[in-house]
Amino acid sequence: MKKKSKNSKLACTIILWLFALLFALPLIWMILASLKSSSEVFSRNWLPAVWKWENYKTVWTDTTVSLLRSFVNSIVIVVLGTGGQIIISSLSAYAFAKVNFKGKNIVFTLFLASMMIPVQATIIPRFILFYEIGLYNNLWSLILPSWFGVTSIFLLRQFYMGLPTDLMDAAKVDGAGHLRIFWQIMMPLTKPAMVSSAVLSFITIWNDYLSALIFLVNKKTYTVALAVRYWLFDDAQRYELTMASAASTIIPVVILFIFCQKYFVEGIATSGVKG
Amino acid sequence: MKKRNETLVGYAFVAPALIVFVALVAFPLLFSIFLSFTEWNFLSGWDNIKFAGLNNFRKLLADNGFRWGLKNTFIYTAAVVPASIIIALVLAYLLNDKVYTKKTLRLCFFIPYISNAVALAAVFKAMFREDGVINYILMRFFGMQEAIRWFTNSQFNKIPIIIFVIWVQIGFELIIYMAALQNVPRELYEAAELDGATPWKKFWRITFPLISPTTFYLVVVQLIAVFKIFSAIDVMNFGQTAYSNTSIVVEIYKNAFQHYNFGYASAESLVLLVIIIIATAINFIGQKKWVHY
Repeated sequence: MKKKSKNSKLACTIILWLFALLFALPLIWMILASLKSSSEVFSRNWLPAVWKWENYKTVWTDTTVSLLRSFVNSIVIVVLGTGGQIIISSLSAYAFAKVNFKGKNIVFTLFLASMMIPVQATIIPRFILFYEIGLYNNLWSLILPSWFGVTSIFLLRQFYMGLPTDLMDAAKVDGAGHLRIFWQIMMPLTKPAMVSSAVLSFITIWNDYLSALIFLVNKKTYTVALAVRYWLFDDAQRYELTMASAASTIIPVVILFIFCQKYFVEGIATSGVKG
Repeated sequence: MKKRNETLVGYAFVAPALIVFVALVAFPLLFSIFLSFTEWNFLSGWDNIKFAGLNNFRKLLADNGFRWGLKNTFIYTAAVVPASIIIALVLAYLLNDKVYTKKTLRLCFFIPYISNAVALAAVFKAMFREDGVINYILMRFFGMQEAIRWFTNSQFNKIPIIIFVIWVQIGFELIIYMAALQNVPRELYEAAELDGATPWKKFWRITFPLISPTTFYLVVVQLIAVFKIFSAIDVMNFGQTAYSNTSIVVEIYKNAFQHYNFGYASAESLVLLVIIIIATAINFIGQKKWVHY
């Protein structure tokens, strides 16, 4: 009995590894293609005849759209967007969970209902607004909208509701106001929920394409997604360079994921156990 | 006095989120609704907004692009949502305690979800080219006679996109399912084993009913995600003029930001909004019927 279950476990492992290989095939192909020469990209050999590491140098230092600059842009957007979202959402979440104010339920219901509104239904007026106030071709046009994150508010509110009120009352007796209670006592306790929200927000912002495509037209403001698109749509059709830029975009996130696997997995998993 | 103070404090804390919400969600939504009843090309300037009544919505019904987009969006959803959820469930079930090297395997399945969608779609675009590696494998190992033109042949041009979205979404669904499976009490399986239940029976009688709230959640989330499908189509379609695999959002983008017909595109975006609201409502009603806690 024991032996049989061991064998079936081994068989399962092998089958899943084959499937995982199939899953990773596009990425393996991407890395190999990114190291080939132009004439070789669509040849039948899997391995490059000559390993062209300079493809990476080309995309990272190109003078029109340098990947380096795009990376800086993307990182600025992700860091300011996620940071802003977490702070602003924490403030709201605290108020929804621990402050009794008039109209609380109305505001919260309104926020929750806005989960259903697709960005496409608001992006045209948003474009007009940003265009009129000079945020067109400006990284803030991607940062500001991400400061309102319903999922983060919801996740954090759940967490604040679970924190004991005694803690607040004790601080109140000592004469602490809401701001101090929030900043010094409560917020530090919500670290797990903040990390989860940050992970989800990171993935969303990092993957954003539609807004970047609409608001960032100047090549100096390109995000990594737009940089890859630039190489793909380039007239020269140099697929090895497109693949080098794609690989450069994907690999750092994978490395980040390997180091923070626990947080990523927990972040995603908590989003699924709502309600 | 105390109460008023609390209200003041409450709004002070909610204010930053509320301001962004009003300025970038609520007000734009109302303005979109207004625009959908107008005929307005952004390039013609503010003075040329013309009230058009229901004209935009009438035009939608006759617009081939929009009708294709609507139909295709439903095809994408019908293909992606069930397939990706079933594959993710099977993978999660096996990964949970029936394999070695669980964490490394999980990583492999998760990479597409965290990677930049445009970069991944660019890889698919290259692989599905007429002289690309997919056609090569099909011809070399599966006896296919002629290379398929994956992007120009309207019979096939939805297939790379469907495979792509399934591939990307599985990682997310997998993580959620694995978390849900952790919560199924082991004693239930042990009791079933004592009664001589087969693995098949154990899955259908214990696992499946107990994780049905998760399945429900994933169906809702994925329906809404696929309704908004855009990046994959935009990247893979580049260079084509025929858009037989277009989606609602691709049409909205095209009309709004390539032709600047803001009135018409707003009407299209309202249709998307209504579809998403209906889908969410149906799902919440249906939840009561088929979710067993």
